Amino acid sequence: MALAAPPPAGMTDPTQRRFRGAARISEYEVMKEKLGEGTFGVVSKGVSKRSGKVFALKKILMHNEKDGFPITALREVKLLKMLSHPNILRLEEMAVERQSADDKGKNGKKRATLYMVSPYADHDLSGMLTNPDIRFQESQIKCYMQQLLEGLRYLHDSHILHRDMKAANILISNTGVLQIADFGLARHYEGPTPQPGKGNGEAVRDYTSLVVTRWYRPPELLLTLKKYTPAIDMWGVGCVFGEMFERKPILEGRTDVDQCVRIFKLVGSPNESNMPGWSSLPGCEGHKEWEQRKGDIDQRFGQHLKPEGLDLLKSLLCLDYKKRVNAIDALQHPYFKTAPLPARPEDLPRYQDSHELDARRRGQEKKMNLPPAPAGGTVGMGPDEWNPQGGPYGGNGYHNGPNYPRDRGPPRRYDDRRGPPPPDSSRQPHWRQDRDNRARMPPAANGHGLPPPPADLPRRPDMRNGPPPPPGSRGPPAGGPNVDTYIPSYAGGRGSREGSYRDPDAVPPPPSRGYRDDPYRERERERGPLPGYDRARRTRSRSPEQEDMRRARLQNRERDFYGR
Amino acid sequence: MAPITGPSHLVNSLASPAHLETSASQLDGVPKDLEDSIRFETSRLLQATGILLRLPQEIIAQSIVVLSRFWSGADGMSLLECDAVDAAAAALYLTAKPSATPLSPRSLLTVLEYTSTVSPHYSQASTGASEPQWSLSEGSYETARDRLYATEAQLLRTLGFQTHVALPHALCINYLQTLQVFKAPSSDGSALAKRAIKLLNTALLSPQQLFLTHQPPALATAAIYLAVREEGVNLPDVEWWEVFDVDREELGFLVVALTSVEGFAEREREVWGDRKVPLTVGEVRAEIERRTMLEEGE
Repeated sequence: MALAAPPPAGMTDPTQRRFRGAARISEYEVMKEKLGEGTFGVVSKGVSKRSGKVFALKKILMHNEKDGFPITALREVKLLKMLSHPNILRLEEMAVERQSADDKGKNGKKRATLYMVSPYADHDLSGMLTNPDIRFQESQIKCYMQQLLEGLRYLHDSHILHRDMKAANILISNTGVLQIADFGLARHYEGPTPQPGKGNGEAVRDYTSLVVTRWYRPPELLLTLKKYTPAIDMWGVGCVFGEMFERKPILEGRTDVDQCVRIFKLVGSPNESNMPGWSSLPGCEGHKEWEQRKGDIDQRFGQHLKPEGLDLLKSLLCLDYKKRVNAIDALQHPYFKTAPLPARPEDLPRYQDSHELDARRRGQEKKMNLPPAPAGGTVGMGPDEWNPQGGPYGGNGYHNGPNYPRDRGPPRRYDDRRGPPPPDSSRQPHWRQDRDNRARMPPAANGHGLPPPPADLPRRPDMRNGPPPPPGSRGPPAGGPNVDTYIPSYAGGRGSREGSYRDPDAVPPPPSRGYRDDPYRERERERGPLPGYDRARRTRSRSPEQEDMRRARLQNRERDFYGR
Repeated sequence: MAPITGPSHLVNSLASPAHLETSASQLDGVPKDLEDSIRFETSRLLQATGILLRLPQEIIAQSIVVLSRFWSGADGMSLLECDAVDAAAAALYLTAKPSATPLSPRSLLTVLEYTSTVSPHYSQASTGASEPQWSLSEGSYETARDRLYATEAQLLRTLGFQTHVALPHALCINYLQTLQVFKAPSSDGSALAKRAIKLLNTALLSPQQLFLTHQPPALATAAIYLAVREEGVNLPDVEWWEVFDVDREELGFLVVALTSVEGFAEREREVWGDRKVPLTVGEVRAEIERRTMLEEGE
């Protein structure tokens, strides 16, 4: 019998591919411009050779995988493949780097490199809000809110909980289109979907309450409700809504308990009338008593918002998750029907040009790369037979394979990172964070994924302690290898970058240092003397993909848990 | 059936005619009947392994569908490129991973090692009629685990990451409820439902790849139709299947296909007897060689 060779790789007609969704990376021209780096690898900008369109390529490195293909990526891909909505970030396809024929090898150690291909977005909301040159009109805020709610309505209607609503996960294109991104924590929701006028319904089962970035985490999760509903995402929308006026996260809790305190300070402490059943919840890390407060939301947001807007904000930030408005009803809120009416996306100002020029002009001065909120939850946990002591809700997600010795406590200095705020701004230029970081702190645990307990986990350093040290003083972190162990070191991820790109005045890190430094180093590079608006621009509006990757890095450490 | 427009949990990616026409294995020179035998055998292996691992049938069925997608079409995987038993392990591992019942590589590989030695007499082993010799040393576990991860990646790549599988089982119960078989006093609704579910599980083993060619509603309807006939239940004397968007022609095809699985299974047993169906690349090559030599000898 004649042996026919399998069809050559490049010759399959893409339209004929059966289970369409996997391309070869050779179908993309991967540009040098990197959008970010993370655990899984680099996010690059790429141009499709088929269509000429620009995409973001998120590389998933497959080494050191404890359980094979990362569960978070698997789940994200699965969900994204089922969704189709203008306000949800699309997964175009997966691109595969073909390896040589014998890539299976004897021991199968070598694995393919994978890329998640999604449309390239110009901004994320968090980046835009920290950019002092971008000012939102109210009609613009309304437009974004409408799109955000539209996307969420679709998600919830499709039985999906996003579980990581935050400004950094909201992408905005230059055509004014808003898209919800990052489905690494998302999961299928089994309860009835929200119906008009009926809030967010009742949950029919337990899920892990260790989800959502802390600053956007709703009170019922902080008080450890497990039977939660799509209302958890609506709380996040409320936080984002407020953030669009205050231009920074409105509830920046340092710990979970602190988060509760801040929430109750804003909207009042819980009682049986504003949050029925709250006292029967397990509470936040054992705390069940809260100081009686009335809430200062009217005073705090009254200056920004007219009565309709304030009413919408309050119905989103409603303590009682059973009464919290659902996306369908929020879209019908009078806020969107009173002047100024929501702008049309196509009428919104475009920022790209000003963006680039501005970045060049500002050059080294200010980098607004605010690392995002700290702790989120672990990736949910399922029955985990590798980890019996973890139990069904698997402890705090802080144990893992030998690569991940991250169950050590945070450095002692952890608490003093919150010094007095500088007089001029509550935000620090990124470079300042960077240096302080190196000197004093474990790296920003940006993204999220830091599990809430223990309360004093390292989180994003909030460098408010004055000017940066001179460059020469920068060096390996004072904590030495201790802090490094906090982030797993991923082999192969950094080697080639070392040296050639590094800031010349940076002290080389000890060889044992983890991968975690790279995002910082990456930004140093961006500050470097080389001209190039692209790189500079990146630092202005933080790339959502970069954001993704950071998040992914954290999740990566928790991937032996399964979401519930 | 009406064209499917939106994304849904209830529909599957189907194989196109071009992909059913040939497969990478056949292009590599694996005879069609041998390929069918291997597919059949791996499906049985997965079913037996899944039961021993106490996995829900949902996961087992999905893994069988995933595996059959893997082998399908010219750009699928060839039996001469990837060990069938590895692919089966990866399919089960991958399907279980995001589910409520994830598997550890160790339990999967250990049980698979056991079922492979028992093969093809799975039911005998369950009754204790045969005492299989098996073991999985630490070294071979580690090798197998690495291979599992590699095959998993290969599987994902080949499937285009389309791991979603909609099953007709729940739909089938739903349809039976719609037909009010559980309410009618005379009919035994639960016996009917059991029969229909058995038929659906049988359909997983069909060499015609029914789960790759028909959407769940059609499969569920056909299973009900056949179960009704086999159980002798009376249903309204109208073309009730049209309510479920299945036309007579599709129904007829599926019913014939479902009834033919038994004959296929019988033939497989006759052909292979106590011999093991080749489940690795090496064994497949040896089998092809054996057949060539037999032909030349004649």
